[in-house]
Amino acid sequence: MIQLIFFLTVGVLLFSSLFFLARRKPRPEGTSDALVEARQALSSLQAGLLPEKLVKRVFDRGDWEYVKSEAPKPVRQLFLEERKRIAILWIDQVRNQIKNLSRFHRGSARHYAKLNPRTEMSLAFSFFGLVCSCRALQLAVSMAGPYAAPRLVGAVANAAERTCKVSEQSLAFLNAAQLGMLTNRAAGSALSRG
Amino acid sequence: MVYWLVLGAGILLQVVLLIRAPVAGLFRRYYFFYIYLLSATITALGGLAVLLVWPGFYSKWYWITQLATLVLGYGILLEVLNHVLVPYPGAERFARFSGMVAFGAIFLFALIAPRIMPRWSPGTVIEFERDVRCVQAIFIFGLLALVTYYGIPIGRNMKGMVLGYGLYIVTSLMSLAERSYAGPSFTKIWSVVQPLSFDVSLTIWLVALWSYCPNPEPDSTIPLEQDYEALVARTKSVMDTIRGYFRKAERA
Repeated sequence: MIQLIFFLTVGVLLFSSLFFLARRKPRPEGTSDALVEARQALSSLQAGLLPEKLVKRVFDRGDWEYVKSEAPKPVRQLFLEERKRIAILWIDQVRNQIKNLSRFHRGSARHYAKLNPRTEMSLAFSFFGLVCSCRALQLAVSMAGPYAAPRLVGAVANAAERTCKVSEQSLAFLNAAQLGMLTNRAAGSALSRG
Repeated sequence: MVYWLVLGAGILLQVVLLIRAPVAGLFRRYYFFYIYLLSATITALGGLAVLLVWPGFYSKWYWITQLATLVLGYGILLEVLNHVLVPYPGAERFARFSGMVAFGAIFLFALIAPRIMPRWSPGTVIEFERDVRCVQAIFIFGLLALVTYYGIPIGRNMKGMVLGYGLYIVTSLMSLAERSYAGPSFTKIWSVVQPLSFDVSLTIWLVALWSYCPNPEPDSTIPLEQDYEALVARTKSVMDTIRGYFRKAERA
């Protein structure tokens, strides 16, 4: 019976991966589109999502203290709901941009003949861990409100910021002229696909 | 009646595929695949002749040719590796590494299993085919995982080849496992299911391999860093820092 279960499980696993292959839409990995996306992800994280001021503002307890002391209950509830929504959106955006940067790493690494499978596996687990932390934070916020895990917010923001710095070095070879050229090429390929 | 219909449809599809191959210029591009297909066609036609002339020999004929096509089936996997992964040396290296690990694990399992599970033995031909199909299934699963992880694009020809062969392996593996578990009572269903699933695969191949569709080539004009170690060192240092932040957060 154990043997039967084992073989059936292997069969089901292969069948589901074939199903995903059949439904898979081609993604522009490692192409000019991917490089432009990675660059945009970096800019978006640095300029739009990670500035300390913004992070502090979204998760600032001061605003809540003020509303709690001054406003009636329905307003307080509305405030908490809105803040929660903003916090979840922020975490979602950070997670997506980190995924973009991870895709950029994979898109580059697959071309190297010297690739080390063990290193790649450990990196994959690390990226996965970071994305999971974002998920955990998202869960904490959606269950216990926007002020549930202030330290974790700081940690995620700092970690993502660090990722940006290193990714910026990785993308440093894309100077302004090359980026312009790639953006045009990406736009061209998008037009031809459309 | 159903069996003959399924068998006839299969032979017809194989012949159409083989006629189409030189017309569309596919034979010289995917010769491992067409060698497999040619052997399957010869096997099916020969089987038909044996069944009509010498029915008593059919069972033996079936198993001998089935094992031969089973081995030639690895040619399809080789074809996929050659066309999909060769332009990506890093991913190809990873595939070779994981392939070797998978084969090693299965080899070890085959050595250890009879010792820890006395009832387990790859005794019959059915069990042997089931085990080889399982190895193929694990290999294709790993290959697809790698292709998805590294976002490697697959053209229509290759996609059809993998889907068709993968689907045939899934049904073969499951029906062989069921046949091995349930015994001869499952033979009637199994003798229809296996050729029927092959017909489905042949239909997929016919659609996917009607004309030549090259696999998308990687963009070689993209400027890449010269050193993989540098890329990894940078990404690794980020990961270490990230882990550090999370440890601090946990402690705080």
